[in-house]
Amino acid sequence: MKKIKVLMAAGALAGAMATQGAAFELGVVAFQMSAETQARCANTVGAEAEKLGWTTQVLNSNGALETHASQLDNLIQKGVDAMILCMSKPVQFDAQFLAAKDAGIPVITISSGASPHTLFDVTPNEYVMASEAAIYLLGTINFEGNVLLQKFESNTGARIRGEVMDVVLKENPQVKVLGEHSMARTKSWQDDVRNGMSALILQNAGNVNGIWSSFDGQALIIDDILLEAGMKKGDVSLVSIDGGQEVYRRIKDPGSMMTATVAIPFEDMAAKAVDMMKQIAVDGKAKADLVPGPYLFIPATLVDKTNVDQFLK
Amino acid sequence: MNAKQIVETYGTFLAGVALFLFLLGFAPNFASAANLLNVLKQVSFLSILAFGFTFALIASELDLSFANVCSLSAVVIGFLISTEVDWPLAVAAGVTTGIVAGLLNGFLVTVLKVPSLISTLGTASIANGLAFMITGGVAFVGRWDADFLFLGRGKVGVVPVIILFTLAILAAALILSTQTRTGVHIQATGENEEAARRSGINTRGCKVLGLTLSGLAAGLTAVFLVANLSSAAPQMAGDFMLNGIAATLLGMTMFTPAKPNILGSFVGALIIVMLSNGLVLLGAQYYIQDIMLGIIIIASVAVSASVLKRAAFAL
Amino acid sequence: MAPRISATGIHKNYGAVEALRGVSLDVRPGEIHAVCGDNGAGKSTLIKILAGVEQPDRGEIAIDGRAVRFDSPTAALKAGLATIHQDLAVAPDMAIYQNIFMGAELTRSVLGLRLLDKARMRKESLGYMAQLNDSITDMNAKVNALSGGQRQAVAICRALRWNASVVILDEPTAALGVRETEQVLQLVRSLKKAGKTVILISHAMQDVAALADRVTILRTGRNQVTLEGDLSADALAHYILSGDTRH
Repeated sequence: MKKIKVLMAAGALAGAMATQGAAFELGVVAFQMSAETQARCANTVGAEAEKLGWTTQVLNSNGALETHASQLDNLIQKGVDAMILCMSKPVQFDAQFLAAKDAGIPVITISSGASPHTLFDVTPNEYVMASEAAIYLLGTINFEGNVLLQKFESNTGARIRGEVMDVVLKENPQVKVLGEHSMARTKSWQDDVRNGMSALILQNAGNVNGIWSSFDGQALIIDDILLEAGMKKGDVSLVSIDGGQEVYRRIKDPGSMMTATVAIPFEDMAAKAVDMMKQIAVDGKAKADLVPGPYLFIPATLVDKTNVDQFLK
Repeated sequence: MNAKQIVETYGTFLAGVALFLFLLGFAPNFASAANLLNVLKQVSFLSILAFGFTFALIASELDLSFANVCSLSAVVIGFLISTEVDWPLAVAAGVTTGIVAGLLNGFLVTVLKVPSLISTLGTASIANGLAFMITGGVAFVGRWDADFLFLGRGKVGVVPVIILFTLAILAAALILSTQTRTGVHIQATGENEEAARRSGINTRGCKVLGLTLSGLAAGLTAVFLVANLSSAAPQMAGDFMLNGIAATLLGMTMFTPAKPNILGSFVGALIIVMLSNGLVLLGAQYYIQDIMLGIIIIASVAVSASVLKRAAFAL
Repeated sequence: MAPRISATGIHKNYGAVEALRGVSLDVRPGEIHAVCGDNGAGKSTLIKILAGVEQPDRGEIAIDGRAVRFDSPTAALKAGLATIHQDLAVAPDMAIYQNIFMGAELTRSVLGLRLLDKARMRKESLGYMAQLNDSITDMNAKVNALSGGQRQAVAICRALRWNASVVILDEPTAALGVRETEQVLQLVRSLKKAGKTVILISHAMQDVAALADRVTILRTGRNQVTLEGDLSADALAHYILSGDTRH
């Protein structure tokens, strides 16, 4: 009997949540909300949509492809009025995107890549950001000396950043790569980064001028390792990409090694996606008049100590 | 059968029916044919994996590697297809990968006498490492051969072809487990290995077979996953670990109480998928699903703990 | 009359321990032959050897005068020797008929597939059971729903199903209550009536006295004495305690 009670309680819970009006209904799916950037993105979409009086439902695919596909299918079956997806994948979910299109559900993706079945993808230009970070780092060490690299190959964006860094390094042979660690684990990645980078920093103590990491989460860990090794701001230049309040705080903090980041305005992107969706799906404007191509590029800004105050909340 | 036995035998099943009726009545669009087919399609992956885990558990062995083995099989398929190997060969290689992983588990358990709780965790880690080795962490993605993608995305009329595959696999698993000597031998091995051995049953063989069927199920699921998503990534089946175990545990609360059984696992998978589909249709936020899954696991183990304990703690 | 089963000069060492030092046993067709002795006398080792669980270091086993060698429990079963061990080795969570047919399930052909013939197994199980204990009729019942004596009946039915001509019972009444013990004694008599040869290992002298046609007493791995005729429990106990070798 217990089982039945549990299920009934669940039903009641679900029922209570279903008693919302017939407002414009927006489905939001983030591929992996345990990644801070995706959570920021999805939560902002949800908040912006609610400001418009929309009903929103935020789902998290936990980084699982099949879960993401199922959730998209479920939202399509539910008949939501529109969908905004954070860090989705156009090729893998081609079938779902097509099904949404066939069902007349407009889809805007964020940092996902363009698909012929969606309206457009709101994204910063990964190559532009990556080259800004790379050149900035080399600039801080006068284009000579030794660097360490912390990479991440399994994420497309992070991989592109690494490849761009390699191109920039190739043009600057006077900068030597002392060591490179590539993150292998995706669940316990913090520990992975800590172990790999600690080893490289110990091995090359006193000999490192700059450190590049493929995203800010890694940089925060590297910052801690450097501080534990007794270094002070300016000893080593530490540059990464993504942005976020914690990174800005550390850029400003004289006790941290964090030098600069390229801030992706996830909140702006999310707000833009919601605003565009409103103009297209509610106000009836033509997509082609707003965003002619497959991408809506959002400029990213390099943040260092000179402009960090504008970003700190 | 008295009332208590009816509740024990059919309680969860009836609760599943009640859930179905509740969703029919209250979840918008749940009842549409398209959504019901959608639910069945989503059940496919989970239930095939759960059948494998069930076979191992019938032999009183825990296979904690099935999700990672499934991911490994998937990247083997993805790797071969992306290097332009004919897809039927790639599929065969993926399924074989699952079988080999199962045989390895069987060898570890029966020959090296490493308890399955430990040995399959080891296999899981090896499979994960191999998957990353093959991919370098990068997912294989492409717009692959339509014939291959048909396995995962195709339809016969309005019915996704994968549902038909799943029903066929369900039928085969049901017949094997309940209507054949092999099935009864696996069961006897799990129930009382010594008694089975003295009755002339090849108990080692039965344990190896149970674990190998789990590997086979992982390999088959990988084929459908890769074909459905047109991509293969090193942890693409990771999410199925907990769900697959939950489906099997839920299955143990029905039909043959406290015993792992194929039909129960199928209904268990169906309940879990109906619930996640229903929660989305009802507008629930993402964290509700994880909470519900946890409740299901704990409740089903509370009801049918003994078999799991025997398999887990036969150290 | 040639013995149904004879063991001659059986030796078995476990490391430095000499468990059997030349034990011999002749069992006549159709008799209930008890093997007794104090702990350490070698009863269990002898039974394990007859059941094919252990192999002797030296010595001969013959069935109906033909020398045999049991490499495995299955080999002993095939030769017509079924052993019911003290722990019965039943699967308590499985049905009676599944236990009786464990390892030798009957099948029928359905569309070219060899599927279990459950109806026939239930029917035949009922037939075996009727020879022993007609109070058990639901062959679908799980063994864990049965009493100790009834479980013994299930184990014996399995021996009957193997069509064994010799049934070895290892401590069949250990840990049973008075009434269940009486049931088991009745089971053993039914076996004899059905023409089976029975080897009975027991500590319970009353049971031995009540059932056995002959008794072989072992002492420290050797034959002490083989007794025939009416025996009382007291007399048997005397032999075991004193080590008396006179008949």
